[in-house]
Amino acid sequence: MEQVSSRSSSLTVGEQFCAVFIPFFAIIDVLVSSVGQCFDCRSTSPRTCQHADLERLARESQFSVNEVEALYELFKKLSCSIIDDGLIHKEELRLALFQAPYGENLFLDRVFDLFDEKKNGVIEFEEFIHALSVFHPYASIQEKTDFAFRLYDLRQTGFIEREEVQQMVSAILLESDMMLSDELLTMIIDKTFADADSDKDGKISKDEWNVYVHKHPSLLKNMTLPYLKDVTTAFPSFIFNTEVED
Amino acid sequence: MAGYLPFHDRNVMAMYKKIYRGEFRCPRWFSAELTRLLSKLLETNPEKRFTFPEIMENSWFKKGFKHIKFYVEDDKLCNVVDDDELESESVESDRDSAVSESEIEYLEPRRRVGGLPRPASLNAFDIISFSQGFDLSGLFDDDGEGSRFVSGAPVSKIISKLEEIAKVVSFTVRKKDCRVSLEGSRQGVKGPLTIAAEIFELTPSLVVVEVKKKGGDKTEYEEFCNNELKPKLQNLTADDVVAEPVMVSAVDETETAIANSPPVCFLPSDTE
Repeated sequence: MEQVSSRSSSLTVGEQFCAVFIPFFAIIDVLVSSVGQCFDCRSTSPRTCQHADLERLARESQFSVNEVEALYELFKKLSCSIIDDGLIHKEELRLALFQAPYGENLFLDRVFDLFDEKKNGVIEFEEFIHALSVFHPYASIQEKTDFAFRLYDLRQTGFIEREEVQQMVSAILLESDMMLSDELLTMIIDKTFADADSDKDGKISKDEWNVYVHKHPSLLKNMTLPYLKDVTTAFPSFIFNTEVED
Repeated sequence: MAGYLPFHDRNVMAMYKKIYRGEFRCPRWFSAELTRLLSKLLETNPEKRFTFPEIMENSWFKKGFKHIKFYVEDDKLCNVVDDDELESESVESDRDSAVSESEIEYLEPRRRVGGLPRPASLNAFDIISFSQGFDLSGLFDDDGEGSRFVSGAPVSKIISKLEEIAKVVSFTVRKKDCRVSLEGSRQGVKGPLTIAAEIFELTPSLVVVEVKKKGGDKTEYEEFCNNELKPKLQNLTADDVVAEPVMVSAVDETETAIANSPPVCFLPSDTE
């Protein structure tokens, strides 16, 4: 009798331990899994790049799959610098190039515009890769020439007009420490147009641009980023996520 | 040398464990000396790891080693020995190269007029490409923009001034056409401070001097620029200098226009 009552009224130490701590463990478990999910959300941006996407992007560009992965690391870094949404906004590009997110810059606007193929105000990873591919040392001169033409064609009329060149040169001089008089400015632009504008219509057409660039290859200097050949060494953390050994 | 990586494993975590423990195996054909050298190089403790001077002293390393002096020009490694036309990349000195080999620029055609360096002429688009907004290399490095300024002084005077500045601080000077490279001797983490100055022609009487850091510490570069380079070069531009007539292969009408136009820039003493 005594044994029965002791069995029913008092639990063993082990059972007591369980009785007390199981609820505890349950709570901790719930916390961990929900917090863990949070971290999961963090590491996957709204449009996670699946491996198939990366392979397709590599095929469409000058980059290898490992290079695309490394560029993805760069993209992630840039795209969450101000607004953490996995997309590069203009301020984030400005921050990356100028170390300051504010300020107006004619050239930045053009660059951003060209990167933003869909014209939706943000640069997605695919657009990022497509545009950067033009800057690869192995990209064709024609691609670079075309890209540069579109950059300088401020109003996108299909021609580089004199006013556009004037606007750009003035903007540069404001930006830098160089001061030039209006006369000198006009003279430099005159000289340039005399050289480039073969039909003398006051604007540079695509064909005229092609010929001009051929004569002055240094104009495409900014269109090549040697770093792109070594991007895997600049962003080695892609190794954590890679599924391919190039 | 072995034909395989020292630390490798299909499982990334296992690979990291090996790296952390410094576990690797050398193939049988490696000599004892080489194995010893490698274990000192792949030493996990950075304090005990071999440094460059120690590597240079190692007997295995020294066998057949030719110490090649090199320098950087046009962002390429150049051999001091074959200077004139041939530029070869030094192979053995790679280990003490402090400069990235990945920087390659377009080689621009240079015109020479009777031995005098003649700067490449700038057109409007060249000036436009100076913009920081157009220079996407800012996405990859934060070396910062170079600085540019206009000068009315003749090219030869600017070059000799740069040489003078370099002499004061015991920097090595390398000249090629209108590019002058100043290289310090103090080895820093990023290599010695290397500054490249390039002169471009804006008009027959004006040039643009572009100064960029090619290697070394950023703060050191900025200090040097602000304390040594800029003040002395700026003073040069303010000197009463008569511009040398430089022949330009541009359109004739503009030449006469240039010759006849009044002093056109901020330099007070520029006379034409």
